[in-house]
Amino acid sequence: MKKVSTRIWILMFLFLIITVVFMYVLTNFLYKRLYVEDTENMMIEVGTKLQTIYTGGRVTDDFIETIENYNDYSNLNIFAVRNPRELSACVPFDIDYATLIGFEERQQLLAGKYIQKIGYEPRFDRQLISVVLPLVDQNRLEGIIYIYYPLAKISELANQEVIFLIGSAFLFLIVIGFGIYKGIRHIMRPLSDLQLAVEQMSQGNYGVRVPVHSKDEVGRLSSTFNTMATSIQQEDEAQKTFLATVSHELRTPISYVKGYSEAIHNGMIEDAQQEETIQLIVREANRMERLTNELLQLARMENEQTDIELYPMPLAETLRDVQAIMSQQANKKNITLMLEVDDTLIVEANELKLKQIFINIIENAINYSYEQATVEVVAQSINHHAEIMIKDDGIGIASEDLAHVTERFYRVNKARSRADGGSGLGLSIVEQLVKQLQGTLEIKSEVNKGTVVKIRMPLMEE
Amino acid sequence: MIVKKWILLLFLLILITILASCKNQAFEPIQLEQTFIASLNIQDTSLNFIDSQGTILKTWSFDKAYTGATLLGPDQLLLFGHQLDQIDVYTLSTGQKLYSKKVKLGTTNVYYADKTKQFFIANSMTNTVTSFDEHGKELVTQQVGNYPMSMEAFQDHLYVINFKDTTLSVLAMKDLSVEQEWTIPKSAHGIAIIEETNELWIGGHGEGSKPNRTIKRYQLETGALVGEIDTPLMPVGLTKTKDAVLVVSHGHNELYVVDWDGHVKWHLEVGANPFVVNQLQAYIVVAGYDDHTLYFIKNGQIEKTVDVGKGAFQLLVREGTS
Repeated sequence: MKKVSTRIWILMFLFLIITVVFMYVLTNFLYKRLYVEDTENMMIEVGTKLQTIYTGGRVTDDFIETIENYNDYSNLNIFAVRNPRELSACVPFDIDYATLIGFEERQQLLAGKYIQKIGYEPRFDRQLISVVLPLVDQNRLEGIIYIYYPLAKISELANQEVIFLIGSAFLFLIVIGFGIYKGIRHIMRPLSDLQLAVEQMSQGNYGVRVPVHSKDEVGRLSSTFNTMATSIQQEDEAQKTFLATVSHELRTPISYVKGYSEAIHNGMIEDAQQEETIQLIVREANRMERLTNELLQLARMENEQTDIELYPMPLAETLRDVQAIMSQQANKKNITLMLEVDDTLIVEANELKLKQIFINIIENAINYSYEQATVEVVAQSINHHAEIMIKDDGIGIASEDLAHVTERFYRVNKARSRADGGSGLGLSIVEQLVKQLQGTLEIKSEVNKGTVVKIRMPLMEE
Repeated sequence: MIVKKWILLLFLLILITILASCKNQAFEPIQLEQTFIASLNIQDTSLNFIDSQGTILKTWSFDKAYTGATLLGPDQLLLFGHQLDQIDVYTLSTGQKLYSKKVKLGTTNVYYADKTKQFFIANSMTNTVTSFDEHGKELVTQQVGNYPMSMEAFQDHLYVINFKDTTLSVLAMKDLSVEQEWTIPKSAHGIAIIEETNELWIGGHGEGSKPNRTIKRYQLETGALVGEIDTPLMPVGLTKTKDAVLVVSHGHNELYVVDWDGHVKWHLEVGANPFVVNQLQAYIVVAGYDDHTLYFIKNGQIEKTVDVGKGAFQLLVREGTS
C-alpha cells in the first residue's frame, strides 16, 4: 500500500516530466519554425532571384558557370543541373540510377513549383534542408537550381547544447523532485502524526494528543481529534468511577450482612441483641435491593429514552396521591406537607413516571428538612406550562455541589450518606424522567435556608 | 429485419459493382476501315485513338496499370504491364476483350511479327523471351541477357536488346535459339533495322550519370559496330519509315530525321521529354511524355498538337482497310 504522500509525489513528478517533455517538443517546434523556416525562406528568395537569370531554351554552360560563381561567394550550397537523367526524365524506364529528384518532384517542378525538402539526402550523405527550383521552358524541364544547407550544421551546433540541455533537465528534475518530496513530507507530517495517534487510541491509550501547528484543514482536524480524545477520556474515566462507586456502594451493605450473619452463626451475638441484628441485616438487604432496583431503572431509562407514551392527565390528582403516599413519612418528622394546586391543570405526561418524580423530590425535601418544618408543593400555570415548585426550609445545598447533584452517586455530604439512607441515584433518576416527559428541572438552594425545586411540564394543547 | 435489409442492400451494391466492372470490359469499338494513331498514356493508363486530322476518335480508360501495348495484326490489341501477371487482348472492331493470359510479372515489351503471326514477350524478372502463336498459345521460352526490352524482327531473326546488360541477343524466330550475341552499351533502347544498307541501329540513355548522345550503327549479319550518329541527347525512340529513320532524343526534346547513310537531314525541338515517334500518313507524330501532347509534324513544321492523357509513352499506328 502506497502512502498518500508517495502518490502525490509520483503525480507531481509525472507532471514535471510531462512539462519537461512538452518544453522539449515546444523548443524543437520553435527551432523548426524559426530557424529552419527562416533558412528555407532565405533559400527560396535566393533561388527565385537566380531563376531570373535563366531566359529559356537549353540550360547553357554560361548559366551553370554563373551559378557556380555565385556558389563561391555564398554560404549556401548552390548548383544547377541539366542532366535529364538527374531530373528523372527517364522515369518510365527502369534505370539503375539514384536520381537527384524523384518522379513526384519532377511533376511538381514541371508545374513550375519549387520543392522544399528536409532530411537525409543520400546523394550528399547527410541531413539537409534543400530547395529545388525548376528551370522550365514551354512545359520542358530544362534544368534545376539546387540549393541546400547542411542541417547537420544546425544540429551540430545544437548537439553540444543537447547534452547540456538533457543534463540540466535531468538535474532540474532531481532537484525539483527532491524539493517536492520534502515539501509533501512537511505538509503531510501532521497527518501521519494524527494517524499514529489514532492507532494508539484504538489500542486503548486515551491520553494521546497531537500537536497543532497550523490552522488549515489538517490543523483543524488535529484539534478536533484532540477534543474528541478528551471527551473519550472523560467518558472513560466517568465509566470507571461509576463502576468503582457501584461496587463500593454494594460492598458496604454486603459486608454488613455478611459480618452480622456470621456473627449470629458463630453465636457471638447474645440472644437479646439478635433481634436488633437481624433488623440491621434486613435494613442493609433492603438498601441493596433498592440500589440495584434504581440502577436497573436508570439503565432501562437510558435505553427507552424515546418510546414513552405521553397522554393528558390532571396534575392535581397525581399530586394529591403523592401527598397521601408521603404524609406518613412526613408525619414521622412532624413535617407539614402543604399542597397548593390549580385543579384545571392538565399536563401531557405519564402518570407513573410523574408520580415517581414527585415522590423522589418530596422524599429528599422531607429527609433534608428539620423536624416540624413545612414542605410546600405549589402547582400553577406559567407561559403555557405547568410549573410545580417543591420548597423546603432544610439544610440546603452548597453552590459548589449544586451543579453535581444530578450526577449518579453524588452526595452533598459524603459522611452522612450512610445515615440518611440515600443511594445517591434519586436526582439522577428524576433528571432522566423529566427529560423523558419533555419537561425541565431547575434546582435552587442556599445552605441552611432551604431548597426550591421547579419542574416545568408541557400543558395539554387545547 | 433490418439486418436482412442491409444484407440485401450490400448484395445489390456488390451486384452493381460486378455489373459495372463487367461493362468496363467493353470499350467503344474502332472500325476496321479507320486509320488511327493511338497514344498509350501510362500515367493515367488510357489509350487515345486519333485520326489523321488530329481528332481524338475514342478514348479507352483502363483501371489496370498497363505499361505497354502492341497491335497484333489489324484488329487485335494486346495490353501488358510490368507489374501485371496477365496480358489482355482486345478486339478493336468490337471493343470486347478477346482473351487474357497469365504471364510472369515483369513484362517489359511485346513484339508482334506480322510475317509469322507470332508475338514475343520479353520479361525482365526471368530474363526471358517467350513466343506465342496468334491465338495466344505459348510456344518457346529462351533465356537471354539481363532485362530484355527492345525487340525487332527481320527475316528469321529476332533482335533483343538486354537493357541492363551489354549484349544484344539475336534469336532464331522459329525456336528462339540464340544465334549471336553482340556487345552493345548499357541502357540501350530503340532499334531500327535498315535492310537497304544492311544495318541495325540502336539508341539508348547512356550508362550512369553520363548521358548517351549517339545512335550506334551495327552491321546486320556480324554485329560489328560500323559507325555512330550524333543525335543528342538520349536518343531512345527509333522508327524506320520508307525513306528515313525517325529519332527522338528525350534529353534535348529533339526530333532527328536521318537518312540511310546516317546523315541528319533535319531536326526539330519538339515536345517535352518525348520517348516515341511514329508516322501517320504524311505526318511525323511525336508524343511528349511530360506535356501530354502529340505533335503532328509535316515538312519540318509542327502543324498541329493534340492533348492526350497523362504520360504519353507509346504510339501505335494502323492503316485502315477499305
